Amino acid sequence: MSNDLIFDVDNITLRFGGVVSLKGVSLQMKRGEILAVIGPNGAGKTSLFNSLTGVYQPQEGTINFISHEGNVTSVIGKKAHQVSRAGVARTFQASRLFGALTTFENVKIAAENHEGLGLVGSLVKGPATRRGERESDALAIELLKFVGLGKEAGKIANSLSYGARRRLEIARGLATGPDVLLLDEPAAGTNPTEKLELAELIRKVRDDRGVSVLLIEHDMKLVMSLAERLYVLNFGSVIATGTPDEIRSNPAVIDAYLGTTHEETNA
Amino acid sequence: MNLLQNKHVRRFGSTLAIMAVLTVMTGTAGTATAPPTTGLHGSFMEHVSYFGLFGAPRWTVMLTLTIVVFGLATALSTYGSKLRKQTAKVTALRQRVTSNPALKWPFVAAVIILALLVPKFVTQNFWQYLLVEQVGVWILLALGLNVVVGFTGLLDLGFAAFYAIGAYTTAWETGVLPMPALFHHTIPTLWAIPIGIGAAMLFGVLLGTPTLRLRGDYLAIVTLGFALIIDDFVETQAGVTGGGQGTGQIPHFSLNVGFAHFQWGLDPIPYYYLCLFFVGLFILIFLSLEHSRVGRAWVAIREDEVAAESVGINPLKYKVMAFAVGAASGGFGGVLTGGLIGFVTPTLFQYQVSVNVLVLVIFGGMGSIWGVAIGAIVLQVITSYLDNYQPWGYQLNDLYMYIGALLIVMMIFRPAGLMPSSRRKREFKEFEENHEGHIDEVLTGEQV
Repeated sequence: MSNDLIFDVDNITLRFGGVVSLKGVSLQMKRGEILAVIGPNGAGKTSLFNSLTGVYQPQEGTINFISHEGNVTSVIGKKAHQVSRAGVARTFQASRLFGALTTFENVKIAAENHEGLGLVGSLVKGPATRRGERESDALAIELLKFVGLGKEAGKIANSLSYGARRRLEIARGLATGPDVLLLDEPAAGTNPTEKLELAELIRKVRDDRGVSVLLIEHDMKLVMSLAERLYVLNFGSVIATGTPDEIRSNPAVIDAYLGTTHEETNA
Repeated sequence: MNLLQNKHVRRFGSTLAIMAVLTVMTGTAGTATAPPTTGLHGSFMEHVSYFGLFGAPRWTVMLTLTIVVFGLATALSTYGSKLRKQTAKVTALRQRVTSNPALKWPFVAAVIILALLVPKFVTQNFWQYLLVEQVGVWILLALGLNVVVGFTGLLDLGFAAFYAIGAYTTAWETGVLPMPALFHHTIPTLWAIPIGIGAAMLFGVLLGTPTLRLRGDYLAIVTLGFALIIDDFVETQAGVTGGGQGTGQIPHFSLNVGFAHFQWGLDPIPYYYLCLFFVGLFILIFLSLEHSRVGRAWVAIREDEVAAESVGINPLKYKVMAFAVGAASGGFGGVLTGGLIGFVTPTLFQYQVSVNVLVLVIFGGMGSIWGVAIGAIVLQVITSYLDNYQPWGYQLNDLYMYIGALLIVMMIFRPAGLMPSSRRKREFKEFEENHEGHIDEVLTGEQV
């Protein structure tokens, strides 16, 4: 079983001072699946994402990431850039692009190898450096075409539409060569047409590039059509897990969303 | 009230107010004992030559200038868009030259030849000296700070520290500090160049590693603190640095390798060529770094550090690298100053130096290597001229007042700098498209 897991999260607790953001969250993600994390606002979804990517450090529990070569990385204690290099890519809730750079440059930067100092190679520009440049150029162009931004390569990231920005963030994440892509509300702010295209793209990411996808999303229609399995968070704990059909009929989930026991949410 | 709503009245009033301030700024200085109104009275009533034609009180000159500027501003607001099209053509021409590969190399060759021939045009020894001390060294400092502030987006308010380290390392290694040289073995000044650069880079790493975890304002405050500590250290630790008195006589550079012998001396021209060589070298290094994966990682950090980290960039590593690389040219500036003027004192590295270098970078265009170099030439030539000739009632203490005013004007009309980098320009592009920084917005307070 453990070999086809990509994330094995065991009983993590994340606190900020006295505020408990995640309490005893466990999550198993299988290699190659599209998994969604849903929950009302403030349920701890983004905290979970930040814990999985090394931005936050949970005080208790373990997070293991297993790459396709079988290398196990213990995420807690690692820096965000180390987790990224291990094979975990992500996008952000409010898209964070390199705004003044071109679409192409955004992806190219992510495609480049950032290990070592690179000072000598950058100054002398020998064959290895030039090969690296060619490879990252080629990967950037390939990925821009993959997400449907091939014609936008020369445009400034800030001038792109909301939907295009989301796609660019996905391309940038893929450029790091990840095993898993974490999408934080990829459809936020997009229109219905863009939402459909985005769902299509997310499926393609998994089917064509073999990258597992973990997403947070508020749009229930999108999540239910896209995800194969879901985890539902509320007040920092997992309250349900299962297939979309199981989740739809789970009374605890309905309570959390309709707010019979707690204040209303705007899911 | 209705009168104030008239655009022309407001434009004239603002112009008059600015000219009145200028008149007071350039007018008679008061003294501690004279009545407080003396300076004001003198500024407006003093008899001066009216543009060399006849004698008149200063207020008539002020009024004439007001009318001229008012006329220009009126013309600009009427014909401004046409004029802007023309200036845009000139700017586009420059870009066409520098981006066209066939024209690029002849253009670069012309710039190099021009730079080599400068001593032929600047014949006064005094100005040749200033060309190195006030222009060359400051280009080096500005280029170095540009890596930190312009490329990587780290606000460094203490860049003078690296300048000081370069200079004091030179003094130390040539054996003119109270503290004996390393291994009690003094070296010729020329060989202090690699050691001075190395020391500055080392300090860049030592300072950067603990502090560059900070972001934004916090980093600026820490760098400011570092510069103040260095300043204080060299001033008070007389047993190590010679204190406020400064160091002994640093020998001039001399080259003795095999058959090659050359002695730099009081003549500033050889120093000019040495400086030119290193300015060229640093420009080449910084240009190739800018267009490498290191340069792109720097820009990514400047744009969004969190996003940069999410794609596998270690921000701390690249920020420390930027500090060290920037410190290299700052450190060389210090070595050159040591050899050229022959001694170092703490006054050379005061806090104002850091601010001044930052002004050069902002003025030239943050992140633009050519912009920063040209901006440094323009500003340093102007300030050297003002300092040495003191025209039109200019006083030494007024320098920062004028530089402040210049920065305000720059931020309104050309926020990305004199020659913006293409990347920076994009950041301002959206802003400039809806908001062109029109003169009438300043003078009448109206959206144009």
